[in-house]
Amino acid sequence: MQHSINKVRVIIVFIIIVVSFLYSLQHLYKMQVVDRNLYQKKATAVYSRSIPIDAPRGEIYDRHYDIPYVDSTESFSVVVNPASVGKENYDTFIETLADYMNITPKDVERKFPRSLMNSHKDIEIQRSVPYGTIVGLAEHIDELPGLSWRSIPVRNYLFSGSISHILGYIGRISQSEFQVLYNEGYTLTDDIGKNGVEKQFDKVLKGEKGLKYKTVDVKGRKLDKKNLEPDIQPKAGKNIKLTIDRKIQTLVEKSLGNRKGSVIVLKPSNGEILAMVSYPWYEPKEFNTRGENSFGSLLIDEDRPLLNRALQAYAPASTFKIIMSVAALEEEVPEDLSTVCEGRVFYGDRYWGCWNKGGHGEETLGEALRDSCNIFFYTLGRDYLGIEKINSYAREFGFGQKSGIDLPYEASGQIPSPEFVKRIYNEQWTSGDTMNVSIGQGRTLATPLQVANELAFVLNEGVIYKPHVVKEIIDPVTNNVISEIPIEVFTKSSFKKETFDEVKMYLRSVVTDGTAKNAIFTPAVEVAGKTGTSEVGFADKFHNWFISYGPYDAPVEDQVVVVVMIEASDIPDRWRPWSTKATNLIYHGIFRDETFEEVVQDLKPYYLRELF
Amino acid sequence: MRRNINWGKSLSRIDFFMLSAVMILMFIGVIFIYSSGISSTGVNTSNEYLKQMLRIFTGFFVLLFFSLYDLSKLKNYTNVIYIMFIVILIYTKINGTLVNGARSWIYIYNFGFQPSEFTKIATILFLGKFLDDNQRDIKSLSVFIKALFIITLPFGLILIQPDMGTASVYIPIFLAMLFIAGCDIKHIVYLLLLALFIILFTMLPGWEEYILQSKNPFVSVLTDPELLIYTIGSIFISLILSAIGYFYLKKKYFYWFLYMFSIIVISLVLSYIARTYVLKGYQIMRLIVFMNPQVDPLNFGWNIIQATTAVGSGGLIGKGLLQGTQSHYQFLPEQSTDFIFSILSEEWGFVGAIIVFTSFLVILGRALLILTYAKDNFSIMVGAGIIGMIFFHVILNIGMNIGLMPITGIPLFFVSYGGSSLWTALAGIGILQGIYQRRYRN
Repeated sequence: MQHSINKVRVIIVFIIIVVSFLYSLQHLYKMQVVDRNLYQKKATAVYSRSIPIDAPRGEIYDRHYDIPYVDSTESFSVVVNPASVGKENYDTFIETLADYMNITPKDVERKFPRSLMNSHKDIEIQRSVPYGTIVGLAEHIDELPGLSWRSIPVRNYLFSGSISHILGYIGRISQSEFQVLYNEGYTLTDDIGKNGVEKQFDKVLKGEKGLKYKTVDVKGRKLDKKNLEPDIQPKAGKNIKLTIDRKIQTLVEKSLGNRKGSVIVLKPSNGEILAMVSYPWYEPKEFNTRGENSFGSLLIDEDRPLLNRALQAYAPASTFKIIMSVAALEEEVPEDLSTVCEGRVFYGDRYWGCWNKGGHGEETLGEALRDSCNIFFYTLGRDYLGIEKINSYAREFGFGQKSGIDLPYEASGQIPSPEFVKRIYNEQWTSGDTMNVSIGQGRTLATPLQVANELAFVLNEGVIYKPHVVKEIIDPVTNNVISEIPIEVFTKSSFKKETFDEVKMYLRSVVTDGTAKNAIFTPAVEVAGKTGTSEVGFADKFHNWFISYGPYDAPVEDQVVVVVMIEASDIPDRWRPWSTKATNLIYHGIFRDETFEEVVQDLKPYYLRELF
Repeated sequence: MRRNINWGKSLSRIDFFMLSAVMILMFIGVIFIYSSGISSTGVNTSNEYLKQMLRIFTGFFVLLFFSLYDLSKLKNYTNVIYIMFIVILIYTKINGTLVNGARSWIYIYNFGFQPSEFTKIATILFLGKFLDDNQRDIKSLSVFIKALFIITLPFGLILIQPDMGTASVYIPIFLAMLFIAGCDIKHIVYLLLLALFIILFTMLPGWEEYILQSKNPFVSVLTDPELLIYTIGSIFISLILSAIGYFYLKKKYFYWFLYMFSIIVISLVLSYIARTYVLKGYQIMRLIVFMNPQVDPLNFGWNIIQATTAVGSGGLIGKGLLQGTQSHYQFLPEQSTDFIFSILSEEWGFVGAIIVFTSFLVILGRALLILTYAKDNFSIMVGAGIIGMIFFHVILNIGMNIGLMPITGIPLFFVSYGGSSLWTALAGIGILQGIYQRRYRN
């Protein structure tokens, strides 16, 4: 049968074919040539992953830089990738692994049940595996397909006790911390210093994370392929050398005993803190174990062990009389000003008492400071200085402002100006208020650290150096000093040299003939100081201060300031006031270079009879 | 007729252009089937490429048989062959082996094949015979409808396997044959519009649910059975009225009313049936993710995302043979079969794609040329069906690899791994070669 085909329709079909091919090709061209980078990026995102490598956190040492207070070690966790084990090897794998790890096959099976055979996700078999075991596993890795281990940096607090308030502790970063530090390289899985030096120097200690790139297939398996980018090695955190002297810290800690309060040992000539104890303290290494030292228990403990009491504000009590004395000597107060103390004085509508109900008799400035006579300082403050001048001297001494110590959560204390009292308490300032301030009661508040600075001011003749606990930042590999914390002037005043000489003489008489007579009997060093007793509103309960320095007549470079502050307590203390007694032990230990136990044997103090 | 074959004469009359293009494609196929067998760790995990080489070898005999055997001798048996394959399809539906959720495979001993592939050739032959017999009335509606019925039978049987992709190939086969046969363009347009509306009405509820993600009053008409009955009812009444108008008043515009209304009614009914009874949820999801793969990126959208990522990242000259990342790291699924074009484009880039397109263009262009040489009408019909089949396979498969078409599991002829599709394609090439060889015979 003859037939002639419709050629037009054939051509139409051909055109349809060509057009649809060209359309597909132009689409392909757009994908492969024009938008290539877009797809390439997508492809890379799919198969390239990066894992952060933790940097070891820096270690913290005392001023001798010998044994670290805190270090970071690696803890190993053994993990297995189930799918790489192979079904037929399951039983032998379990047995071999249990054998090398010294655990029972049951333990392994519980972590790695047969039902998870096909998973590509790593399973952790055990945590905190000793290094020796890892070495053993590494030797037999051929028999254990799919086995690997990871190292996790662990923070070890090697010394327990009062040092925890200086070191602080670390914890998982909180959402609010993360929000603030987002731009500084933190991630939500990071640990961050929460208190103490760990917090203040977190950026120094934490180092920089590294990155390990890997190429993965669809199941997330790591492939043995060359990576697109080279790994970035982590940079270890820097080590920190504290100004703290471990021996003095322990001596002070034991001298204070289990009394709520704080002690500061300060080098006035440069602001270095040699020891800082706050009782009660906490044990970071026990935060995560059950019991009374767990973090949860600490939070509800009424004694607030997380609080560094050396940086909390209290009424400075009679230690404030040093500032009053300096003011009296600097201002136009008659040199022969004297008062007659009869144990109390009537002013306004009530009696104002001296601590000595029997009265001190007639006393001049030096005698009044020696005996801590309230009557004299009432008069001095009310009639000769006035609240404005008192406050301005207190400010010169660094009161009412943070000292800038390199520890977090420092209180700034308080200097009550009449305007301030009016604004905050809506009360009119009276002369009675001035009288209270004059003896360190009332609304003036100072931290034990500020009180230590008060003495440093006298010893440096008008200068306070910024107190600090960190001395140097040290490279962990080379042990070279990267940076030294500079000595900074915190306040500077130009008072007469004679003023300071005079006050120092008075302070010496406190120990030789005054309120601290007989209490400081160490033959090791000559000490000068000032007692303080502040009422807390209850009968027979006082905050108890003793602030002192020694040696009395040495150049300031050789002197140390010791501030002991013991809080009023419900627990009866047979040896109250303890502050002078503790100071006695501390000076003996420091200047004879003895431990607390040696001091007790050497000095045989009557108040520690049970120890020798 | 002579029973002995003149080998020398036959050989000299082979269309070498077409044959070389087929050889190139099969060669590329083996290369990338090999490449797809290389695992993420660089180990060859598959011997599919060896199997494919064996199939190409056996496929040559299929090609040789169909090019030397004069199919017009079979003309009177095409109905028997057709019915035989319909029976096999029914058997497959009942007793076939379940692979990927569809009963499209039957196994004889260890040798599995897909009858739906060979049925294409059988249907082309039978429809060719039918159109040849009815050449005089080719423009009539009754011939068109009868021809449609011949196609609908295998189409429906494959659709319920369910294998939407393979079933859909029957549509271009039908269109190509009817078009070349010289049918009325109105009928073809009617069918195309009907198909378009069915797809549209089938997809709209899914589009509303996954992409629009809010209620659309027009779509509610399709999903709410009560509203649907009202709609169909009212359009159906208009339809009757138009029919009455057309037959009594003989006005031409009533004919076009009838034309349009019937398309809408039929597509509404069929799309409802398709959505509710025929299409499985995953088939609808495949069409949804074609519109937006990110609706379900890890499940239904995965293939489309991985395939386009592989293709796009290949660039102009590709990443190099065996250097593909998406393919060798196993992100790309079904690499040796449905997505072989992706691995090819990833490793050989745009240049590789141009080779593939050019080869297919040579095959189809030469095939169309052969149609003009053909001496009998039956050959023209059969040739047109084969052209429609090959063209649709290429466009649908490559289209789904580059994100232009929804994912339907149909192979890229000559390139994809798989015996049934290769032999079907080679049989088609053989038939075309046969037509070419007998071009001078009267």
